[in-house]
Amino acid sequence: MLLSARNITKSFTGVKALDGVDFDVRPGEVHVLLGENGAGKSTLVKVLAGVHSPDRGTVERSAGTRLAVIHQELTLVPRLSVAENLYLGRPPRRFGIVDKARMRQGAKRLLDRVGLSVDPDTAVEDLGIAQQQMVEIARALDLDAQVLVLDEPTAVLTGTETDRLLDIMADLRGQGVGLVFITHHLDEIRRIADRVTVLRDGRSVGVLPRGASVRRMIELMVGRTISEQYPRRRQDPGEVLLKVDGLTRDGAFHDVSFHVRAGEVVGVAGLVGAGRTEVVRAAFGVDRYDSGRVEVAGEPVPRHDVRAAVRAGLGLVPEDRKGQGLVLTSTVGDNLGLVTLRSTARAGLVDRRGQRERARGMAEALRVKTSGLDQPVRELSGGNQQKVVIGKWLLADPKVLVLDEPTRGVDVGAKVEIYELVNRMTAAGRAVLLVSSDLPEVIGMSDRIVVMAHGRVAGELPAGTTQDKVMALAVQEFPA
Amino acid sequence: MSSTVGSRRVSVREALADNGALAGLLVLVVALSVSAPTFLSTQNLLNVGVQAAVVAVLAFGSTFVIVSGGIDLSVGSVAALSAMVGAWSSAEAGLPGPVALLLGLLTGVVAGLVNGALVSYGRLPAFIATLAMLSVARGLTLVVSQGSPTTTPDVVSFLGSDLTPYLPVPLLVMLVFFGITGFVLSRTYSGRAMYAIGGNEEAARLSGIDTRRQKLVVYALSGLFAAVAGMLLAGRLSSAGPQAAVGYELDAIAAVVIGGASLSGGVGRATGTLVGALVLAVLRNGLNQMQVSPFWQQVVIGAVIALAVLLDTLRRRTR
Amino acid sequence: MEFRGVAALSALTLALTACGSGTSSGGGGDLTIGLAISTLDNPYFVALKAGAEKAAAELGVELTVVDAQNDATNQVNQVQTFTTQGVKAIVINPVDSKQAAPAAKAAENAAVPLVAVDRSVDEGKVVSEVASDNVQGGTLAAIELGRAVSGQVVHLQGIPGASASRDRGRGFEQGLNSGGIEVVAGQPADFNRAKGLDVMTNLLQANPGVKGVFADNDEMALGAIKALGDRAGKDVQVVGFDGTPDGLTAIENGTMAATIAQQPEVLGRKAVEQAVKAARGETVQEVVDVEVKVVTKKNVAEFRK
Ligand SMILES: Nc1ncnc2c1ncn2[C@@H]1O[C@H](COP(=O)(O)OP(=O)(O)OP(=O)(O)O)[C@@H](O)[C@H]1O
Ligand SMILES: [Mg+2]
Repeated sequence: MLLSARNITKSFTGVKALDGVDFDVRPGEVHVLLGENGAGKSTLVKVLAGVHSPDRGTVERSAGTRLAVIHQELTLVPRLSVAENLYLGRPPRRFGIVDKARMRQGAKRLLDRVGLSVDPDTAVEDLGIAQQQMVEIARALDLDAQVLVLDEPTAVLTGTETDRLLDIMADLRGQGVGLVFITHHLDEIRRIADRVTVLRDGRSVGVLPRGASVRRMIELMVGRTISEQYPRRRQDPGEVLLKVDGLTRDGAFHDVSFHVRAGEVVGVAGLVGAGRTEVVRAAFGVDRYDSGRVEVAGEPVPRHDVRAAVRAGLGLVPEDRKGQGLVLTSTVGDNLGLVTLRSTARAGLVDRRGQRERARGMAEALRVKTSGLDQPVRELSGGNQQKVVIGKWLLADPKVLVLDEPTRGVDVGAKVEIYELVNRMTAAGRAVLLVSSDLPEVIGMSDRIVVMAHGRVAGELPAGTTQDKVMALAVQEFPA
Repeated sequence: MSSTVGSRRVSVREALADNGALAGLLVLVVALSVSAPTFLSTQNLLNVGVQAAVVAVLAFGSTFVIVSGGIDLSVGSVAALSAMVGAWSSAEAGLPGPVALLLGLLTGVVAGLVNGALVSYGRLPAFIATLAMLSVARGLTLVVSQGSPTTTPDVVSFLGSDLTPYLPVPLLVMLVFFGITGFVLSRTYSGRAMYAIGGNEEAARLSGIDTRRQKLVVYALSGLFAAVAGMLLAGRLSSAGPQAAVGYELDAIAAVVIGGASLSGGVGRATGTLVGALVLAVLRNGLNQMQVSPFWQQVVIGAVIALAVLLDTLRRRTR
Repeated sequence: MEFRGVAALSALTLALTACGSGTSSGGGGDLTIGLAISTLDNPYFVALKAGAEKAAAELGVELTVVDAQNDATNQVNQVQTFTTQGVKAIVINPVDSKQAAPAAKAAENAAVPLVAVDRSVDEGKVVSEVASDNVQGGTLAAIELGRAVSGQVVHLQGIPGASASRDRGRGFEQGLNSGGIEVVAGQPADFNRAKGLDVMTNLLQANPGVKGVFADNDEMALGAIKALGDRAGKDVQVVGFDGTPDGLTAIENGTMAATIAQQPEVLGRKAVEQAVKAARGETVQEVVDVEVKVVTKKNVAEFRK
């Protein structure tokens, strides 16, 4: 046994995050931690890593066991380069001076190992969120620890990157490393887990052996069965609500056109770097574009003006919840009410009662696990934070809602609830544009799928298409 | 226990534990009552209130700025300039008192708008923009006054007087602006937007908040509050001085931070700032009464500021 | 964006220099004298500057005035700049006597004669020192206060550590034994009127029986008078220092018992006279004592011009 935790109990003001949990890690195994959002997985990881000290219980490590942790929230320094981040706090030195050349070489080697081809001198803030995650993984791997803990690393990764990571994990397991792995993707668990410990409301409710069925996992985790993972209810599309026509920004995307009709969910698929996020950000007025036009319900949306886009009836749930989605210093209630703050205010005065009621309703509809609307949003678990970001836009009820990777880190049960709310929006005549790297999700929830590659639209596929067809378009090359 | 959206009850004990500054103020008051026998008289407590008023009003204005993630170093100078413009308009230009007062207040708003425009549209760091204004406003005060103190009109002097023996006007003004600050922060769109902008400007912008316009509002409010503080200060002396309120911006910032606000934005409340201003005033009052050596006073004040903020940080971390 | 910031700042600086620094005056003669003044935030130094300007006009020399804004380092830089601008003599009104040595050194190196005014230069070569005696002034204040009252008095001190606070305070203490007064409290109010008001209010709370106040300058004395309200000039006598216009008014009104008038205009005038002599190679007077005078209601009219 490399690591063993007994009877761990940990409370935060008002919440018992862990309640008498036993957990251990053996050499050469992948031990998965499974549970709903807020079940206590990250808290347990932090107790194992010594970030939190438990109220009760003990953590024992066999002598000389080193522990490396990839936390759920990224810990990179945005302004520093990839190489500097990889060697943060332990740069290679020569004569007491940081040896830049050696650092760059070492960084190249580490990046190769995780299959990330970026220049080590790039600033981390200029990387996409998936690339940042790979940097984080590369850094942890270099510590050569006997126990490696990965808290939802695949939430932001696409299929290929995930495959690569699972291969690396299998390798490490072969070398006798003990791995703790957290994910909400049950297929990944089926592929790699040796044991699955299921947490529910801070308690360990069972340990499943390798090969346990998805159905069994869900049952233990949420206490009920989920009949339909992607409960999309289609209806006849109405008028065109969002029209993107010839959108171009040099070096990012070229001549991108598509439309979404009332009552439709249109998916946008593609590899990382295909330009999906760039296009939706430009359409929403966050970034500039060089040419093309965007219309909502027939009215042109001015360029580079988020306020105008919101007024025109657009909404965007951004992919980076910490950097762009949440005001971490504010409460759950304030975050939920952020978009509707202005439209519900009268004579400059906020509609306090109404805002609270609406926020409470949304928190309940999304089953946000929180001690109250006044709880700081930074105290919520990752998945519950994501629900808050989605909730604030659902409350605004825009004509067209763009969801960029909306279910990252959200548990299977909560995903279904989000999908039901999407159904409700389209039933009410709204339109949804769903950008997602989770292929089963795009295929399961979209009425049509636009596939992007290298900043262009590579093609469009109907509902119920296969992953292979999507991938075939996604890897398409364009003549220069 | 999944999906519970309950409400939190707050007890008095929690409120104290939750507010390091208030606890600090109480400790200070108790300590002074014991060591300086004259401290705990009604008259002296009123004095403390009056002496806190100018910095408190400045600090209320700075609360908006700091909550929204900025900083305003110009408030002391703007206070002096506004008061001087008010005094000059009446004493030298012969305008009626109330008009002069309005002109003075307007001066503060304009200075604030310039700050706001430089920060939000000019993209200057707030530190630099307001540092420039600190110098410009002080210089303009000297230009207007030609270096000499100027008598204030009666309306302004009224602001520094006593309504009745136990009702000093500065205290009232402070309480009124305390109310206004609390109201703006908690009830108005602009106030709520300040928290969002200070906490995460990008998230605020992506939520459709007009961050630039709101920043303009923030600095304009700060300028207006500075002007009011300047009028209070001048009113108490019946005279606007070219060297008035030098360095008060630092007191204002200290009051806000002692009150639990974070200089990185998104956090801060009117009550905290009021307590912060009172801590500074109580401290100065007590140091005078206890006859602490002039050389040690600045050491003590600095130490108390550091201690108050340190306690607050520790409390937050151990939660 | 960084570039933009710098550009905006330099534009601002340019605009300000354009309307600010042209304070040279005088008859446009062939001779330029530099006056490095400690601060213009205070009416006293504004008067000193006025006296200097008047003298320059009469003598037909050019006078360039710079303001150090009470920053000693700033002042050293300004004096250095003077030496490169070809001024023929420099009048310095040190921010701090102890910190003026580098300025004196710079002038000496450039062989430009240096005249100190109002405050001395502790180390370095000065051809002439034009000053009123702060220590003597403090003593006179103590004697005057002892004449007006007997019993408890408080002392409002200037900025802790500043030379004027040191000298006036020392003189005040020396003069104490001549009368029946006892200092029960001494606290700093930084030469500032608002602080004078607050500190006096606080001291009154702890010492309600106070009969007299000595303030290291008129500004603080005026603040103390505000704090005393109706009691000023009746139950409690206040003595200030400087003889500023507002101070003289307070004496006329009877709220202030006395002040120690320095004659800033005379200081400025004498300093420029000496500087011009030095520049023309004439003999200068090494020490010029400008009288300090006790101003009371009896003689206040003399100080009003
Ligand atoms: N610092 C904190 N203060 C207060 N409550 C906290 C804190 N950290 C976690 N919690 C609470 O503890 C519970 C467990 O959170 P944890 O982050 O461990 O969940 P999780 O299982 O990792 O969920 P997810 O799948 O969403 O990441 C949640 O209810 C959360 O709100
Ligand atoms: Mg988690």
